[in-house]
Amino acid sequence: MSLSIALTKGRLENKVGGMLEKSGYGIASLQDKGRSLVFHDSKKDIQYFLAKPNDVITYVEHGVADVGIVGKDTLMEGGKDYYELLDLNTGICKFILAGMPNNNPLEKVGHIKIGTKYPNVTSAYFHAKGMEPEIIKIDGSVELAPVLGLCDGIVDIMETGTTLKENGLVVFDDVCRISARVIVNKVSFKLKRKEINALVQDLEKARD
Amino acid sequence: MNQIRIPQGMRDLISEECEKKEALKKRIENVFSSYGYRPLKTPAIEYLETFTNAYVDVKDEEMYKFFDQEGKTLALRTDMTVPIARMCASKFTNAKPPFRFRYCSNVFKVRHTFAGQRSEVTDCGIELIGCDSQSDLEILAAALDTMQVIGVKDYELEIGNSEFFRSACTAVQLKADQIKTLASYIDRKSLVELQEYLQTLNLAEGAVSFFEELPMLGGREEVLRKAEEIAFNDALKVEVKTLQDLFQNLKALGYEDHISFDFGKVPHLDYYTGIIFEGYVGNVGSSVLSGGRYDSLLKKFGRDLPACGFSVKLDALLDILPEERKSITQVLYPRGKEVEALIKAKQLQKNGAVELVEAAVKEVEVKA
Repeated sequence: MSLSIALTKGRLENKVGGMLEKSGYGIASLQDKGRSLVFHDSKKDIQYFLAKPNDVITYVEHGVADVGIVGKDTLMEGGKDYYELLDLNTGICKFILAGMPNNNPLEKVGHIKIGTKYPNVTSAYFHAKGMEPEIIKIDGSVELAPVLGLCDGIVDIMETGTTLKENGLVVFDDVCRISARVIVNKVSFKLKRKEINALVQDLEKARD
Repeated sequence: MNQIRIPQGMRDLISEECEKKEALKKRIENVFSSYGYRPLKTPAIEYLETFTNAYVDVKDEEMYKFFDQEGKTLALRTDMTVPIARMCASKFTNAKPPFRFRYCSNVFKVRHTFAGQRSEVTDCGIELIGCDSQSDLEILAAALDTMQVIGVKDYELEIGNSEFFRSACTAVQLKADQIKTLASYIDRKSLVELQEYLQTLNLAEGAVSFFEELPMLGGREEVLRKAEEIAFNDALKVEVKTLQDLFQNLKALGYEDHISFDFGKVPHLDYYTGIIFEGYVGNVGSSVLSGGRYDSLLKKFGRDLPACGFSVKLDALLDILPEERKSITQVLYPRGKEVEALIKAKQLQKNGAVELVEAAVKEVEVKA
């Protein structure tokens, strides 16, 4: 049976594309794509399409895509109605708690305000520490919020740390590691077990 | 503005969709009736307590709640099994089991905003109350017959056994919160988190690899052999044997092509006590049939009886079923000949639907 795979647009797309190519998948059309969003594998019965991280989860949960490849950051913040079968060990970064030097939210007495794009991740992190901060949802350039005094700290993704440093912020704690994951629709996993297992094994080999 | 909108997650159904739904309901109910199940209705509104009593972890945010005249909290029913368990325990106090009930009613759950999910769905199912696991075969046969009348060739009934996981947890003496965390990773097949979590539990090596393999222990008949291999004590081997015996019996009945197993199926552990199963059809992204054994539910309502049942969510199937072709005969008539037209129509109604149409004709005419 044919498979349909939703890939996260952008940085992950190239990394995962490389892994698929290494495993003998025909993804030339994906690398030379122009503006189209749907591609067919030239060697196998697979259809790929590109989507934003959150939408990859939505497509997989509805079964429109059998398989999705998406960062753990998005999975942690979003829905849970899928199987998560594999850590691709690529697209690695981490969630951190950062803020202005000498103002560690973890040591603050009283009301704490945290700015983030990821309210669920932030809430779970502080909850595990027995703390209950006020969470302020921010959509872009989260680093700005503590600099301007909107909040005591931020929970965000850090890759190299350059942006934080340039804005005078320091890391107080690592929240958790993030990497690309393979998720699968629950029904597809039953009805296309053979095809999905083969794909997972190929990706596992390409990873190691 | 609100006068033309409907609340989040609700849907209007047009006639074609209603016809499909009614036809599907009829096919399924015929199966239920043929196994001797009799209809029941319960109120759409129950006390919230009825559900909090039944489930250990009620998802409060998933329930539509409001108050009655005395300030007591009411809820729209989220499933039919709990109301039927309540009804059976309170209204059939002295009747002699077993009871075979069927139902087809709407149930309600608050869904995420803009996630494309329905908050109101029709649940069509059966409950066999008062029979122990010896009746599992009968329930599974009814479930397989139900899957067949849905009308899609490509379908599968996947069977699991909640005792397999539970018994392993008891054997390695896990605490309740550890079991809960482990169950959630296994049920969602979160292999990465599962491995990390197992490292923190300090289990014997055999137990670690058992739990690691559990999520992927699914597939056709061969899975039963694999399960036997990783079963690390006699209690676990007994649980595998239960499914092996069931499979042999289902095979004898000719069902084997549509059966698979998943030992990693461990949802709602506070509720299910034996077999659990789900039905899948191609091109529907979620299970369309689900059920299992729940021997400790009725006790909570005051009458200790074993029970097993399943239901089909009709709405999930509407998108993939073809339209019901219904021919309607037309009786054309000129203004003033309504009586003749109706006389003609009534004669024809014996053979099927007839629609009256006023038209530019001289006499009453029939158009097939």
